[in-house]
Amino acid sequence: MSGQLTRRDLARVFTRLLFLQATVHRRGMQNIGLMHALDAAAPRLSRNGTSLLSRHAEYFNTNPHMAPLVVGGVLRIEEEAESAGPASVSRFKQAAASALAAAGDVFFMGALKPLALTLACLSAIYSFFPGLVGILVLYNAAVFYCRYRGITLGYARGWGLVEAFSRPSVQRLLGIARGVAAFAGGLLAGAILSRARTDGITTVAILLGVTGLAWLASRRGITAPRVAVILFPVSWIVAMVLK
Amino acid sequence: MNMSEVVSLALIAGLLAVDDRAGWQGLFAEPVFSSLLVGMVTGAVGPALHVGVVLQLVWLSIGQARGTRRPNVVVGGLVGAGSACLALQRTGDPSDAFIVATAVFWGLLAGEAGALIARAASGWRERRLGEFRLPATAEAASRDLTLAVFGSALFVGAVDALSVLVMLPVATLATVAFTGRVAGAAAGAAWWLTSLPAIALLIMAQAFYQTRSVARFATLGLLIALVAL
Repeated sequence: MSGQLTRRDLARVFTRLLFLQATVHRRGMQNIGLMHALDAAAPRLSRNGTSLLSRHAEYFNTNPHMAPLVVGGVLRIEEEAESAGPASVSRFKQAAASALAAAGDVFFMGALKPLALTLACLSAIYSFFPGLVGILVLYNAAVFYCRYRGITLGYARGWGLVEAFSRPSVQRLLGIARGVAAFAGGLLAGAILSRARTDGITTVAILLGVTGLAWLASRRGITAPRVAVILFPVSWIVAMVLK
Repeated sequence: MNMSEVVSLALIAGLLAVDDRAGWQGLFAEPVFSSLLVGMVTGAVGPALHVGVVLQLVWLSIGQARGTRRPNVVVGGLVGAGSACLALQRTGDPSDAFIVATAVFWGLLAGEAGALIARAASGWRERRLGEFRLPATAEAASRDLTLAVFGSALFVGAVDALSVLVMLPVATLATVAFTGRVAGAAAGAAWWLTSLPAIALLIMAQAFYQTRSVARFATLGLLIALVAL
């Protein structure tokens, strides 16, 4: 790896970044977590590590799974700070953090996490325990790989990172990931309906009726968990009346 | 009720909260996975997983939500699955659907209550973090940053662990108290359990049928499942 930092240094920064979310607060969001991660490499990058850290006391917020990419880029720019200057680091953080936050939200929160949870629900419904454990292992392996690869890629590319993530191919990849999650969602919906069909017409009728009711409630801004809580006493009352 | 199991589950809640809100978010805290842990600790994997799946289906809607409206899935999942397993130890297995349904209900309520508690505690934690100033020397800066990160993570875990420690025995005792005592309760609970996946269906429809290309994938999955299963 070209640069002052070794793989061991990057691994230390990576480990600290696992706890980036621990110190999220309104004023600076992830700034304390960022400083904590940079502190692992600061002595190698600057003779005055505290002045390097103090440049990063400003507001910082991005998707936690994409943060290693940004931090990798920050390490590269800090290494080249002699020529670029502190303003460049600040501009890079702003540009990369917001671009990668959007991509990270779409990929991790909008595709990978729903995909894993949907497949986990399917495995649990059919009591397929190896599937359940396998999904957990695969999801964590994917997250760890993306995070570690992120820090090495960010460190290798520096400013080039922003350009790399602005390419249309990245958008296409995000679209495919969302499509796969939607496919799994369709499978789960089909599995629920299939099971209801085998339970009889009453179950299908209850399912469809409650779906309509939940749809009306969601249009009035009532969240799904609250609809579920409201339905609990209603079910009891209906059952007691019919008894 | 075995208090050592309650304490074990509270400690697990603390660890899961660290993963969910302070760590790398490895999905361990999601009810479908946390209920598996609860089942292994209490020796009742089946009922625990049943509760976990239903809670997960209801909470799929909040998968993308970030911020104040998100229920506390750690507290909800642990209280829900835990109360089902602990109540079954007391009652045997007279009306499984009733106990599972009641546990899901407690799980949903605990998720909302846990979110309120975590939000209030988080306000105090954030004020302390907002006052953080970087010391002048490198050693002191390193020490203070480490203390801030791990202290904050520990605080997040402790709040959820305490929430479970208080809510789990209450939910278990309430479930045991109601079992077999309310006419029509078992039938009502069974209907409610049947109806909950409908909420997941609606959420999926709302999430995936907003853009045409994504809707095609969802429809394909739906058709394959309906034909194959």
